[in-house]
Amino acid sequence: MSNLTHVYPTFSIADIRAGLAARDFTAYEITEAAIERIVAIDGEIGAFIEATDDMALLTARKIDMALHHAPVGTIPDELGPLVGVPVAFKDNMNLAGTNTTCASRMLEDYVSPYTATCVQNVIDAGALVLGKLNMDEFAFGSSTETSAFGPTYNPWDLSRVPGGSSGGSAAAVAAGLATVALGSDTGGSIRQPASFCGVVGYKPSYGMVSRHGVVGFGSSLDQAGSLGRSVADVAAVADVIATFDPADTMSQKPTAKMSDYLQAGVDGMRIGYVPAYLEMDGLQPEMLFAIEDAMQRLEQMGADLIPIELPHARAAMAAYYVIGPAEAFSNLSKFDAVRYGYSETDAANLNEFYELSRARGFGPEVIRRIMLGCYLLSAGTYDQYYIPAQQIRTLISSDFRQAFELCDALVTPTSPRAAFKFGEVTDPVSMYLSDIFTVPANIAGNGGMSLPVGLGRDTGLPVSVQILGPQLVDQNIFRVAAALESTYSIARLAPVDMPVRATATAGIGRFAAIEETIRGAAGAAVGVSLAGGAAHTAHATSAEGAEHEKCEDCTCEEDEATDNIEGGVA
Amino acid sequence: MKQLEEVLQDWEAVIGLEVHTELTSLNTKMFCSCTFEYGKEPNSQVCPICLGLPGSLPMPNKAAIESIIMAGLATNCQIMPDTMFYRKHYFYPDMTKNYQITQGPVAFCMKGELELEVTGKAANQRVDLSSVEMLGDSDGEAAGDAAGAAPTAPSSSYRTRIGITRIHMEEDAGKLVHVGGTDGRITNSTYSLVDYNRCGAPLIELVTEPDLRTPEEARLFLQKLRQIFLALGISNVNMEEGSLRCDGNISIRRRGDTKLGTKTELKNMNSFRNLHDGLAYEICRQAELLESGGTVRQETRHWEPATQRTIAMRSKETADDYRYFPDPDLPPFHLDDEFIESIRARLPELPDAKIKRYLNTFALPFEDATTLAVDPELAAFFDAAVLAATAGEGADEGLSRYEIARAIANLLLNDVSAWMRQSGVSLDEAAFSSADIAELVMLSLGETISSRQVKELFAEMAQSGKSPAAIVAERGMQQISDSGAIEVVVAKVLTENADKVAEYQAGKTGLLGFFVGQVMREMKGQGNPKMINDLLIERLG
Repeated sequence: MSNLTHVYPTFSIADIRAGLAARDFTAYEITEAAIERIVAIDGEIGAFIEATDDMALLTARKIDMALHHAPVGTIPDELGPLVGVPVAFKDNMNLAGTNTTCASRMLEDYVSPYTATCVQNVIDAGALVLGKLNMDEFAFGSSTETSAFGPTYNPWDLSRVPGGSSGGSAAAVAAGLATVALGSDTGGSIRQPASFCGVVGYKPSYGMVSRHGVVGFGSSLDQAGSLGRSVADVAAVADVIATFDPADTMSQKPTAKMSDYLQAGVDGMRIGYVPAYLEMDGLQPEMLFAIEDAMQRLEQMGADLIPIELPHARAAMAAYYVIGPAEAFSNLSKFDAVRYGYSETDAANLNEFYELSRARGFGPEVIRRIMLGCYLLSAGTYDQYYIPAQQIRTLISSDFRQAFELCDALVTPTSPRAAFKFGEVTDPVSMYLSDIFTVPANIAGNGGMSLPVGLGRDTGLPVSVQILGPQLVDQNIFRVAAALESTYSIARLAPVDMPVRATATAGIGRFAAIEETIRGAAGAAVGVSLAGGAAHTAHATSAEGAEHEKCEDCTCEEDEATDNIEGGVA
Repeated sequence: MKQLEEVLQDWEAVIGLEVHTELTSLNTKMFCSCTFEYGKEPNSQVCPICLGLPGSLPMPNKAAIESIIMAGLATNCQIMPDTMFYRKHYFYPDMTKNYQITQGPVAFCMKGELELEVTGKAANQRVDLSSVEMLGDSDGEAAGDAAGAAPTAPSSSYRTRIGITRIHMEEDAGKLVHVGGTDGRITNSTYSLVDYNRCGAPLIELVTEPDLRTPEEARLFLQKLRQIFLALGISNVNMEEGSLRCDGNISIRRRGDTKLGTKTELKNMNSFRNLHDGLAYEICRQAELLESGGTVRQETRHWEPATQRTIAMRSKETADDYRYFPDPDLPPFHLDDEFIESIRARLPELPDAKIKRYLNTFALPFEDATTLAVDPELAAFFDAAVLAATAGEGADEGLSRYEIARAIANLLLNDVSAWMRQSGVSLDEAAFSSADIAELVMLSLGETISSRQVKELFAEMAQSGKSPAAIVAERGMQQISDSGAIEVVVAKVLTENADKVAEYQAGKTGLLGFFVGQVMREMKGQGNPKMINDLLIERLG
C-alpha cells in the first residue's frame, strides 16, 4: 500500500499542490495511490470504462523530474495549475489513442485519433489522466443505467443509481477515485449526478468550454464542465477548460477567472428564488428543506432574496424533448458502421447493413431518441413541433434575461429527489422529469452548479441546491456557491470501504472485475471529511463489513442534522 | 425520332439548370483546413472534421463565403445579410455524417439574373420570340471602327434574361468506386470503395428559374457562367474533373399551354456538348412519348454520350424527406454591408464589361475581344502588354493605341496561342513576359523588324527568354531603314537587270515584285519593304 492510501481520497487540488511544493510526496505516489484505489474499489462502483495508468504514471514521472530540479517549496509555473491532480474524463470525450465509446456497443472498439480541446487543456495543465468514465449511452439518460457496459453504482448506496448521464464522473469523484472529473451536460447531465452523488458539479454557460472533441448529443445544449469535491476544485478546473477555441464556432473568449471570486461573499448580492419551483409537485420535502435552508443562510450572509418568475420554464421540458432528440437524431446519423463502429457483416444489401448495424449497435434508449428526433424533423411535424420548440426556447431565454436583470444569481433545487434505486424508475417520462430543474439552463444557455448541502432528512442521501447565473457571468455562481459552501460542514467523500489487500499498480483493463474486495478493513478511513467535520467519518470508520444501506438507518442524522439538513453550520 | 427543330415547332421546352461549382481556387475544404487537389491518392486529404469522426465540429471557411458572395454579385443576385446553414439528411456511404451541410430557404445569394445573347444558327431553336429582345445587324457590336471586322449576327439573334433562383453554399460528398461491375457502375459490382478526398470540399450550387427554352440557351448559359467564375478566379470550372457539374430539369408542353408538364431530371452531362445534346434528346424523347399517347414519368435520367440517349436511373415519385433543419453546430451568419461592399470592391472586371472595353477602347474585332475577354489569363496578359507598349518609350511615334492593341491581340491570338497549345505551357510559366511581347510588337510596328522576323523572334523569345531587343542585337536582325543603304542596293539591282528595267518601263509593271525580291535578297531580308517599294517606284519612274 502506498503512503498516500488513506489520505489520497480526501486530497483537494490545493492539498496536492502544497504537498508537491513541500516535496512531502511525489506525483508518482499520488498516481499509485489513485490507481490502487481504483483497482480496489471500482469493481463495486463501475465508474471507469477504460484506465490509462501508463499515461498517468508517465506524466507523474515527468512532473517529479521537473520538481527534482526546482528548489524545494516551489513548483515551476510551466507545470500548470493542475499539476499532479488525478483526473478522469467522461467517455464521450476524445483522448487520442484511447477508446471513445460513449458507453455504446456502437463505439466499443473505436479508437480516437485526436484529443478534445477541454481534455487537452486539462492535460496541458499538468493533470494526471486516470482514464475514461462511464455514462448513459451517448449521454441519453439520467441514471447511467443505459450504459452498454453495465451501470455505475452510487458510492453512497450501491443499490442506487449515481444519476446521469455523467454518472461515472460523479461517482468517481464521490468515491475518491479521482480528485476531479470532466462531464458533459445537455439537460442536467453534470448537475443531477453531482446532486445524487453529493459532489459539486458545474455546467458552464454555453460557449465557455469548447465542444470540439466532445461527442455531440444536442449541439445547441451540450456543454462540458467539471465535477469535484469542493467549489474551489471545480473552479480550478473550470478556469483551465474555459478557453477560446476557433475549432468550435460557438466558443467565447473567457472574461473572468472563477477562482478569483471564491472569497467575494454574497453581502449585497441579489439572489433570486422561484416560488413556483418550491411549490412544485414531486419536489420531495427534504429537497424543499434544503433549498429553504440555503436561502436562509444566504440571507444571513447579507444577500437580498428576490422572488423571480420564470413564466415559461414549465414548457422547458417539452421544448427540450423536441430539440434534444431532433439534434441527437441528426448527430447520431454518422454512426452508420461504414467507416468505424459496430457493424453487421451478414447484411444482404446496404440498407440492411445500416439497419442491422444500428439496431444492434445502439441500445433501446438511443433508438428511442433517434426515432423521436426522426419523427420530429419529418416534413409536417417539423412545423408542428420543432418550430414551436424553438419559439419556446426564445421565450425561456428571455425569461432568464429578465430574471437576471432583477437578480445576480438564482437558487433552485437541482433535482426533485435524491438518488433512486436501480430499476425504480422505468417509465421514460418519469426518468426525464428528474431533469426538470436543470433543463431550463441548457435551453437558455446559462451556467449552473449543483452544490451539495448535506444528507437528506428522509433518505440519508446527498441533497443539493442548484445555483444559476446570468449568461457568461458564471463568476456569480461561484461567489454564491463558495459562500454557501463555507457554511456547511459536510462530507463530500462517499463512505466506500477500502479493502486491505489490493493489487496496487497492476494495469486495470476495461471492465476489470476486482475479485479480491475484502471489506471492512480496520483503518480504512475513507470517509474523512474535507472540512474536518464529522458527518461521515462515523460511517466509514465503523464500517466493519457494513452494507452501504446502513447509511440510511445509522444515527448520525439525529446527531448531526440541523433542522432537516445533515451537516450543520460550520 | 423527330429532330429537335421539328419538335420545337409544336412543343415548348421548359428547362432549369442546377449548377454545382467546386471552389477549387481555395485549396481548403468548406469546414476544415484539409487541402483538396484533384487526382491525389484516395483518402490522403482527410481529417477528423471531413471524416465526421465523433466529436468533430465544422469550422466555416471564410474565403469560401467570400467566393460565393462574389459569385452572387457577379450574377446580379441579392446578397442576403442573414442566413444559416442547414443539415440535409440522407444515408449514403459517400457522406461521412449522413447529412450534408447546405443552406435552407434563405441562401447567401437570391434572385439574380444573367443576360444571354444567342446568335448564330442555333438561335433558330427558339420559336417563340415574343419575350426576347431581337438584335439588329449592328447591335451588340462594337462602337468605334470595329464594325467592319465583327461578324454580322444573323437576323434571328436575340437577347434574353435568365433568372437565377439562388446560389447556396454546401459541402461536397466523397466519391464511390464500384468494383466488379461493368464500366464502374454499381450494377452487378461486388463491392465499392470510398474516397473521401472530395468530401467536404466547398461547393456552390446555382439554381436557375425555369427560364431556358432551348438546349442552345442552356449551353450558352453554362458557358457564360463558367466564364464569369473563371474571371472571378473562384474555380477552375473543369467539367471533366467535376469541378463544374450541371443537372437539367426539363419538361415540355404544347405551344400555347401555360401548365407545366411533368419534368425529368437529367444527369451526367459533363461537357457543354453533352448538355446540349442530352437536353435535345430528352426534349425529343418526351415529345415522342406524349405524341404516342404516353406519359412522362417523374424520374432521374442519365445521359449516355456513347449511345446518345438518356436512361432512367431512379423514380422520383415520392419526394425524399431530407429532414432539413438549421445546423446547431453553426451560428447564424450576419453579413454586414461593409463586408459585402468590400467584396464588391474586389470584384474583377467581368467578361461582358471586358468585351465592351476592348471594343470601345481598342476597337478590337468583336471575335478577338470575346476570345481574349473570356480567358482571364490571356486577358490579363493582353492588358499588361498593351499597358507596357503604350506607356513605354516609342509609344508616341505616331502610333495609335488601336494599332498597338490590335497588333498585340493578333500576336496573342495567333502566334502565342498556337505556341501555348503546342507546348502546353501556360502564360505564367512562359519564359517571356507581357513586357517582352509589347517590345516585340513595338519593334514590328516601328519597322525595326519586318513582320516575317516577328515569328522568328517570338520563337527565340519563347525558347530562351531573352528580350526581343537583345535577340535583334545579337543576330543583327535590325531592319535596314537607312535610305542611303537601300539606295545603294536598289541602284545595284537596277544596273544588273537593265533588261527587266526596260520591260518594266515598256509597261510590264508586274515586275515590281521581282525587283523588291532582288533587293530583299541582297539585304538578307533586313531591308524595310515599304522603303524599298517606294524607292523602286521612284527610280523606275
